[in-house]
Amino acid sequence: MERPTGSRRRRGYGGIDAPSNVSTSARSSDSEDLPTEHSQRAGATIIPPSPWNLHNYAIVTVMTIIAFGLRFYKLNHPDQVAFDEVHFGKFASYYITGEYYFDVHPPFAKLLLGLAGWFVGYDGSFEFETIGDSYTAAHVPYVGLRALPAFLGSLTVPLVYMIMLESGYPTLVAAFSTVLILLDNGHIGQTRLILLDAQLIFFVTLSLYTYVKFRKVRYLEFTPVWWGWLCATGVALACSLGCKMVGLFTFFTIGTAVLVDLWEVLDVRKEGHTMDYFYKHFIARTVGLIILPAIVYLSFFWVHFALLPKSGTGDAFMSPAFQETLRNNELLMNSQEIRYYDTITIKHKETKVFLHSHPEQYPLRYDDGRVSSQGQQVTGYNHDDVNNHWIVVPTKALPETGRGRIVRHEDIIQLTHVATDTKLLTHDVASPLMPTNTEFTTVSHDEARGDRYNDTLFQVQIDDADPGQAWKSKSGHFKLIHMPTRVALWTHPKPLPEWAFKQQEINGNKKVHEKSNIWYVNEVVAVEGGGEDVRNRTGQVATKEPSKMNFFKKFAELQFLMLQHNAGLTAHHPYASSPLNWPFLLSGISFWTDNEKEEQVYLIGNIVGWWTCVMALSIYTGVIAADLLARRRGTYPIPYTVRNRLWNNAGFFFIAWAFHYFPFYLMNRQLFLHHYLPAHVASALAAGAVYDFIFSELNNFPISYPGPKTRARRPTRSDIFKVPAAITLTILTVLMFAMFLFIAPLTYGTPTLTGEAVNRRRLLSSWTLHFAAKKTTMD
Amino acid sequence: MPSNPGEVALEIDSPTESPRASSEFEEVSYPTWSQPRAEEELPLHYMGEDKARRRVKGAQAAPESTVMFDADSPAEYDQGDDGGKDVYAKLRQHQTPVSRMRRTSAPPTSVSEFIQQNLEHLPPAIYTLLSCWTRFHDIGKSPYVVWDEAHFGKFGSHYLKREFYFDVHPPLGKMLVGLAGLLSGYNGNYEFKSGEQYPDDVPFVAMRVMLATFGVAMVPLGWYTAVELGMSRRACHLVALMVLCDVAWLAISRFILLDSMLLFFTFLTVYCLTKFNNQQHEPFSFDWWTWLSFTGLSIGMVCSVKWIGLFVTALVGVYTIEDLWEKFGDLKMPVRTYIRHWVARAGCLIGLPIIVYLISFKLHFLILNHSGPGDAQMSSLFQAHLVGNDFSRSPLEAAYGSRVTLKNMGWGGGLLHSHVQTYPVGSSQQQVTCYHYKDENNDWVFLPRWEEPEYNPNGELQFVKHGDVLRLSHFSTGRNMHSHAIPAPVTKTAYEVSGYGNQTIGDSHDYWMVEVVDDIRRGHRNNFETIHTLTTRLRFKHWKLGCYLRAANAVLPQWGFKQIEVSCEKEDNPRDEHTYWNIESHINDRLPPAEITHIRSPFFRDFWHLNVAMMTSNNALIPDPDKEDILASKPFDWPWLHLGLRMCGWGDNQTKYYLLGTPVIWWSGTASLGISLVVFVVYLLRMQRKYVDFAPGEWDHFLYVGKIALFGWCFHYLPFLIMGRVTYVHHYLPALYFSVLMVAHLIDHFFLSARSLSERTKWAVFAFCVISIVGTFWWFRGVAFGIDGPINDHKGLGWRKSWNIYSL
Repeated sequence: MERPTGSRRRRGYGGIDAPSNVSTSARSSDSEDLPTEHSQRAGATIIPPSPWNLHNYAIVTVMTIIAFGLRFYKLNHPDQVAFDEVHFGKFASYYITGEYYFDVHPPFAKLLLGLAGWFVGYDGSFEFETIGDSYTAAHVPYVGLRALPAFLGSLTVPLVYMIMLESGYPTLVAAFSTVLILLDNGHIGQTRLILLDAQLIFFVTLSLYTYVKFRKVRYLEFTPVWWGWLCATGVALACSLGCKMVGLFTFFTIGTAVLVDLWEVLDVRKEGHTMDYFYKHFIARTVGLIILPAIVYLSFFWVHFALLPKSGTGDAFMSPAFQETLRNNELLMNSQEIRYYDTITIKHKETKVFLHSHPEQYPLRYDDGRVSSQGQQVTGYNHDDVNNHWIVVPTKALPETGRGRIVRHEDIIQLTHVATDTKLLTHDVASPLMPTNTEFTTVSHDEARGDRYNDTLFQVQIDDADPGQAWKSKSGHFKLIHMPTRVALWTHPKPLPEWAFKQQEINGNKKVHEKSNIWYVNEVVAVEGGGEDVRNRTGQVATKEPSKMNFFKKFAELQFLMLQHNAGLTAHHPYASSPLNWPFLLSGISFWTDNEKEEQVYLIGNIVGWWTCVMALSIYTGVIAADLLARRRGTYPIPYTVRNRLWNNAGFFFIAWAFHYFPFYLMNRQLFLHHYLPAHVASALAAGAVYDFIFSELNNFPISYPGPKTRARRPTRSDIFKVPAAITLTILTVLMFAMFLFIAPLTYGTPTLTGEAVNRRRLLSSWTLHFAAKKTTMD
Repeated sequence: MPSNPGEVALEIDSPTESPRASSEFEEVSYPTWSQPRAEEELPLHYMGEDKARRRVKGAQAAPESTVMFDADSPAEYDQGDDGGKDVYAKLRQHQTPVSRMRRTSAPPTSVSEFIQQNLEHLPPAIYTLLSCWTRFHDIGKSPYVVWDEAHFGKFGSHYLKREFYFDVHPPLGKMLVGLAGLLSGYNGNYEFKSGEQYPDDVPFVAMRVMLATFGVAMVPLGWYTAVELGMSRRACHLVALMVLCDVAWLAISRFILLDSMLLFFTFLTVYCLTKFNNQQHEPFSFDWWTWLSFTGLSIGMVCSVKWIGLFVTALVGVYTIEDLWEKFGDLKMPVRTYIRHWVARAGCLIGLPIIVYLISFKLHFLILNHSGPGDAQMSSLFQAHLVGNDFSRSPLEAAYGSRVTLKNMGWGGGLLHSHVQTYPVGSSQQQVTCYHYKDENNDWVFLPRWEEPEYNPNGELQFVKHGDVLRLSHFSTGRNMHSHAIPAPVTKTAYEVSGYGNQTIGDSHDYWMVEVVDDIRRGHRNNFETIHTLTTRLRFKHWKLGCYLRAANAVLPQWGFKQIEVSCEKEDNPRDEHTYWNIESHINDRLPPAEITHIRSPFFRDFWHLNVAMMTSNNALIPDPDKEDILASKPFDWPWLHLGLRMCGWGDNQTKYYLLGTPVIWWSGTASLGISLVVFVVYLLRMQRKYVDFAPGEWDHFLYVGKIALFGWCFHYLPFLIMGRVTYVHHYLPALYFSVLMVAHLIDHFFLSARSLSERTKWAVFAFCVISIVGTFWWFRGVAFGIDGPINDHKGLGWRKSWNIYSL
């Protein structure tokens, strides 16, 4: 960091040109106020000059125009479904058709896509089945759909500029950070397609921007402008979280900054900071940054449910109660109350097999030497046949007709297997595959009336039921608990050997509370007496109205399922990568390929920009560590204002990066390079701050708007070394642009590259590009 | 001081952060016991503070302080000393017994004087006796092989028989088991089959007693640690009682297992650390060095028992880093002194443990000099030196038609293996893996290419040379080793290697080119032509794809029986030892056996090889989703004692042991950890509002004890959350110790040493704690002492529904 000292270099003790008597009245390190001897109350304060001037406006306009140009260029190419457009394009269509779907991400980003689709007149009929399906053949207005992410992706660029400018950095620094995003192939590639990340990145960046603005007006506490930026931050946060759960990391970032802020407010040494004052601040933050976002976030779900009233692909994920709120849902249409002596088929919820039995018996002795009861086999079978039919037999007296014959929650029943006319039972014999679990078999009626009677008794425990609730087909998820041994009817995907035709084993599970014990009645095959139409037995008409369900219950159920399925996305994906690869761009993602024209879209960042960011982050860490060590030894190498900016502002960007990056290490789900993009924005901001630290001795200071109580101070102006800084910026821009152009065929998927050209673009050996020229065969 | 205004502001801003903490030791020339005069002057400075905060009603003088000070100090020392939280008082009070005895002049002249002088050791002595009773009581009640005795008893036997075996844990603990067997006259010939009754000639009771002694020692260690942590006398009693009365610690100590040793060494490390902390005022003194090096030694031992010991090492590491950071800020300390601090810690806390760890492995290799079940884990050269190994009699030079086993030379490498099972992914052809046990499926035959004349067993003998292209035929299934452009099942970037075809079916994808790297005995490959068993290092290059046969400790899923994946690596990295192979055993009737002496593989090579193999097997112990392991539990189950563990069969006639903690101890421990965080935050907030809750130094001490307990617990618990391997409830037992310390610390802070409470209240709180601890222990004692008769006859033990203590 040591550089030749010029006349303007003033680093070290007393480096800033503040009056020497400042120290006597200095009170606090964390405040920006450096009160002077001439302290005066409001009125004499010097308003910090606005960072905005004509050439700033000009620069941001030009940059925005370039951003739009780069992101909208050939937006119609490829005219086929690329990568996750398969999912998100489909989800957007569902908002138009109103069919319920399930996804692990919150709905806001997809709602925006749906809105864009509606706006351009898309009818929602396209299936988005597989990557490579043609849009033009199906006349899908896909460019309109893609325009929304491209639009928000473009707007991220001026936002970055504004964040830097509002943070008090000079134009050159703001431009530095902006170029890193503007010319980045990763951002361009990701935001040109029908995906969620453009929306997410935009709102994450917006949250940072609004919080910086809020922080700048902190001395004007509880004024409308203060409340305005506070609430704007809250809304932007809710929008980020509404796009993807990654928005939670943005909450952590802002939350950390707020905690630091509140810690200062709590400081008893500050004038007028009573506990009441603190509570006021605390409550304001709670309202603005927790309650308001919660309301906004919930409203997304409200709209989501309101727009999706019909049954669709997402039904099966939801609970029966939820499904009955959807129009034309199968459960809603076919759910029937079950009465005694009805013939039913029973299906296992997880593995979708029927409870089945056939005349073959268990072999006396298994391979491992254990013996069986040699009774009739009871298995799980995944095809519909008559061996799946069971009759529900009561164990109590029944009325002749009417609703008294309905089977209810916690009733004790017997099940008769229709085809072999035997009764289901389980007993204390080890099951064929699991010595810990009990064997299921059937016995004749005589035995079932005799000493085996108790073993044939089962209790129907309907999941989440009230006492006396009727047992329904389809919707009534239940456990079948054996009375004497308290085991639950259970099955697992491991097949039995050849003697049971490789059907699934059914056994009694001692762990009664497991979710996998749940079964449901698939169908009421025939009713007692026969002939009667099952549907009309209760006298209801065939078309039922969807039932109502409390919004909060629906939300809670969906939110829980989202988190659960999100964590469950552990399947291997060829282009998934570990977080360690991301900052260094070790691997990309193949989004789309066209084998005929040998074109491909490969998501990869601009390696110049990304490595610049990584370097900047390591310099930052080094500087902070050196500062800590030096201060520990009693030397104070960095001037106060610079250090303040380095810790508070650059620190904010740094924790934004850290919070958007490191938690991925703890996740077991499949991870992709594009998960790093929000963190990359933060790293670009931090890179700007580091660039400023290198090239300037002083900052624009103060930058916050003075409040009624703040003291006057003499402002300092940034003294950035314009020439070297500008040269550096120019070199970076040129390099970035060259690299951008070089990789652009992979980002835009056009023009076609020759095999050798593809090989040249494989800058790191870990990039897996298609259509590479084969190396000459060996030997 | 700097003239920068901002800096001054900062100085004012943060008075709570006291950079003076460590320098105080430096500034004050602390008294030595031989100079009572100097001592009288010094403490006055502190006593002012002491008195200020020690407004204790009904001061109870700790007995030993009376003893200590009556000779050489004025009465004000023991005035109102509640044994509280003052570091400096503690430093004085708990000067090591060694140093005090050494420096106080008069040796006891009568028994009563001896007792007088050692009165402070009376309670721990009583606890030790009690501990002996709980640990040894009816220890031989179940004459069956209980739980993991099946493993560790067997490993102990291997030491007695001196047969090389392999296990995932370092050897020290098992060597001690072997030692216990040796001392009790066990001959090492018993199999330790799980659940079997011990035959008469196996002195299992004596072995159990010896290992339970480690468990006995936990109790006095707990007491003395609490003393060193500056807890009040009653809090020390609580710590000792909780260690004594936890039935999980008790149960695990009573069998032939490693856990009692692991716990003992963990406790010992913490004790040494606290002891060392109390020597900090006198750096580089004899005692300081003693306890620093003892800390290092016990770290070495705990890590040599199980790798879990690394967690307590992390605690010591964090303590040391914080300590050095404090000293770094001490501007008065000369740089040379500071460097000496670093060097001392590096030597004692890094160097010593490594030496201990190495020594344990050296002993392991020295003792186990016979061929045994673990041979195949080690390099071929190592095996060649085991007694009973027949490598030296195999023919020297490999030829076509030779039946060989191929050993991967990378760290932890195994034998090239194949079996009839096929890959469920990729090509669905026969699996080729790397395996660590010797069986016939490891045998491969060198055969010529398809185009060449078939191998003729009676024809001219043809030796394999560098550059030969040949087939490797699997001896028992006849398949040829094959590779093709299909990604390998785990290492997706490499090609799959499979067994394909038979004696007649095959293609050019079965061809491998032999590349000789060098020979350990003969040097560079230009010096020789033929390939020798054991010493020649080979690589196999796929003729068609140009990739290299490689096995790099990537574990296959259950369908591959957790064996090591073999793949064909596209990138040629000539230095990658995982692509090096050597011929291990070699059968060829047409060649004469070679009587040669082999080069011994160096100790460090064997050491590292074994450690990598242990690491690989440890990583392979991942929970199997296909197989329900009823014994395994999740880390989230532990702190609230969600599950217990049946340690043996549950028949009515058996003596049943159930691994379950004493509920009050586990629950209060977990609660105290949460409470400690809340307390910490509340105190911080109060400080920001300038409430003065602590006298100077007191806060630091409060934090110090809290940090030991909290960090210790976190280091011993949190890693299990991210660890992939299968976990059991006994993995929580070391962490439990730190939660026990936290309970005692908080009770001490809020009740037993509280200024505002009357002595009566303190007694009441103390009595309540003692009664609930001892009461629950007595209620649950059966789970550790053994329950006879039908379990369902013993009422009232199922405090939580999730415990499977009762049979259904």
